[in-house]
Amino acid sequence: MMRWKLPWFFKHGAAKGLWIEREFVVLDLELTGLDSAQHEIVSVAWVIIKRGKIVLSQSRYMLNRGVECLDQSPIFHGIDDVQLEAGHDIDDIMHALAKVLEGRVLVCHNTPLDWSFIHASFLAMGITTRPTHMIDTLKIEKSKLLRQHPQLIQDHLRLPACRARYGLPDYQSHHALSDALATAELLLAQVNHLGAQKHIKLNALL
Amino acid sequence: MTQTGMTVEHQDVLGFVSKQSPFNALPIASAHYFVNHAEVIYLTVHNQADALQDEEKYLYLVRTGIFDLVDTTGEVVTRLSSGDYFGYPSLLTGEEIKNRLEVQSPGLILILPQAGFDFLRHEYKLFEQHFVRAHKKRLLSSHYQERGKGWSERKISKLMTKSAVVLEPTASIVEAAQVMQSEGVSSVMITEGGQLHGVVTDRDLRNRVLASELDPAMPVASIMTPEPKFIFENNRVFSALHLMLKHNIHHLPVLNEARVPLGMVTSTDLLRLQNSNPVQLIGQLYKASSAQELQLLAKEIPVLLRSFSNTVEDISFVGALLSGLTDALMSRLTELFIKQHGDAPCAFSWICFGSQAREEQTLDSDQDNGLILANDISPAERAYFASLGEFVTHQLVACGIRACPGNIMASNELCRGTVDEWAARFYGWMMSPTPQAMLNCKIFFDHRYICGEQSLYQKLTTQLSEISRKELFFAAMATDISTNSVPIGLFQQFKLQRSKDKSKYLDLKTRGIAIINDLVRIYALKCGINQANTQARLKALKAHTQLNKSDIYNLQDCWRFLTQLRLRSQIEQHQLPANCINPETLSSLERHQLKEAFHLIKQAQQACVFKFARGSL
Repeated sequence: MMRWKLPWFFKHGAAKGLWIEREFVVLDLELTGLDSAQHEIVSVAWVIIKRGKIVLSQSRYMLNRGVECLDQSPIFHGIDDVQLEAGHDIDDIMHALAKVLEGRVLVCHNTPLDWSFIHASFLAMGITTRPTHMIDTLKIEKSKLLRQHPQLIQDHLRLPACRARYGLPDYQSHHALSDALATAELLLAQVNHLGAQKHIKLNALL
Repeated sequence: MTQTGMTVEHQDVLGFVSKQSPFNALPIASAHYFVNHAEVIYLTVHNQADALQDEEKYLYLVRTGIFDLVDTTGEVVTRLSSGDYFGYPSLLTGEEIKNRLEVQSPGLILILPQAGFDFLRHEYKLFEQHFVRAHKKRLLSSHYQERGKGWSERKISKLMTKSAVVLEPTASIVEAAQVMQSEGVSSVMITEGGQLHGVVTDRDLRNRVLASELDPAMPVASIMTPEPKFIFENNRVFSALHLMLKHNIHHLPVLNEARVPLGMVTSTDLLRLQNSNPVQLIGQLYKASSAQELQLLAKEIPVLLRSFSNTVEDISFVGALLSGLTDALMSRLTELFIKQHGDAPCAFSWICFGSQAREEQTLDSDQDNGLILANDISPAERAYFASLGEFVTHQLVACGIRACPGNIMASNELCRGTVDEWAARFYGWMMSPTPQAMLNCKIFFDHRYICGEQSLYQKLTTQLSEISRKELFFAAMATDISTNSVPIGLFQQFKLQRSKDKSKYLDLKTRGIAIINDLVRIYALKCGINQANTQARLKALKAHTQLNKSDIYNLQDCWRFLTQLRLRSQIEQHQLPANCINPETLSSLERHQLKEAFHLIKQAQQACVFKFARGSL
């Protein structure tokens, strides 16, 4: 679905390479709603995976101090105007993100949603940087579950439910940084349940 | 705060790390440092081989999952779960990692590179101490494991190298020396009608013949040590060492069940086993020159026990080992007291009760001991024993053996007394079957001699066997036993107890093992069996008709099974009360066995009530 829109993916086309040799930006956004045309990004967080390891010290978490309308969204992410004031300009945030995405693979839990917001922002700011590939932990989980049970309940794909299946600890949900780390750990678990990670190719995850 | 490059904290990870030792005792900055320098990996069976093989060295902290650390021989060194560290020995010593990991249940691991580890080591003394100590412990336990292997199974008969060299008491000293020379042995047993009468050793020839210019034509009986200590062929090496160290003897005759001499075990034979650490430890306990030294040595006991319990086949041996160590501590403390305060004004004997007497002591067990004094003691002489009791019990606490909450300790006046006073106490409990008196009977009727004048102890047991013949007493005991029920419900479900934090558990000790102990005690008393150990009592009961053979085997199996589970619960420690397990952590087979065990105990309980209380319930 995403590929015909994003032909630059194929320019990097090294998806046959080993996953362990790639670097990943595991990202989560908190939003004011689900529509990139009308809603805004409240916060951005990412963690980096290098050589199969999550490098905690390279994690970032930033609030968009320019949010115009929080509306009902604080119910989910708990961020209010006072906290936002201590945040960053969305321009700075997006440029920092663009820099970190250069040459790396983007990972989210439900990537199409997060990417739609990032893409919109990038377009508006004239940023042309793109990740080399995109991975969706939700999609990986979905195809795994579908192989096991043809009937799928949507709740089973929520991040905490996916994590629980791999025995990963409970985290505070709906905090971008927690969710980014939670997604990164989920990816490690998913990959390492596939087989010896030395032999897993990146395209097995796409 | 406005720098886009700002490093951020992972609160969930920080929360986890700051709760782990040693970070929970360090400034929070240490946990911040750890989180900011750590990486996260996820281990499964697929990538377990890669872990520990990285070019870089790390400190590993388990976040989730269960992993076994396995050494080069394939032995499990330790099982790791949430909050456990590994990899530190290599960080401390710079040596290559030889152990490997086996994933039991996959999970997350936090890893800190060597540079981070070194920083924390230099910054926080406590951090350094924590890992240096953990490393020492690991060394000790793997050391013990290596040396302890198969040790407990070794019987005395396997250790004897020569067959028995015997002489009649009428043989001359010269003949004895000649036999010793031709047989190449350092001692000879003196027998009459096949029974052991005495022992003559090299040292006797030197001290009692040459040095005293005795006529070598004299009968050998004149220089022998009469009624020597001996050991049975089926006893364990451990018991032999215990005896030899305790009495400072170098030759120990070995007899068969019919008391016919089979051979001799010498301290040289045992030297070959010198590397077995329980032996060394007991030896050191008996030689310790001060209470402080004993305390230091006692610190090794938990480490020793933990590593030992992994290697022994017969689980009852662990309880025997710990009781043996406690006996050694008490004997040595008594000797130290005498050295300082002079000889006792009259004969006395140390006696122990409860778990120490039954030889099923655990690390959680408390003290139960007392002093038996000679009947002719004067009131003024009692003060000496008050201080002796105070000193020994106090020092035992310092050595890690808890004080008795019920005050059954020789520091209590009611736990010191002459043979007649003790007998009167027992008689009093038996004649007034109040709940407290019944409780006393349960504790005090499991008794064992430790050290001092053994004849006092024997006098007491003789008197006790005369008075414990009252039907009413047995009826009261049986009724009392039946008030404690096994935790099995009507439909074969476990009846679980709940702790304060709502986790469910089963108490294996009070609602399982203790009931078996109670049952076996009542039958043993009925049959006049003078032993305190439950397995030994059951064995002895086979010669009586009070319990049939299959009941005895069933109780033996139940006892062993429950003891094994209990020991495991103590070693794995699932944050439950002592001696308790959560049945959900058991395999389905174990759960089934556990139910079966409780069921058998219940049957034995009912049979006991019927037999002694005539179904009066």
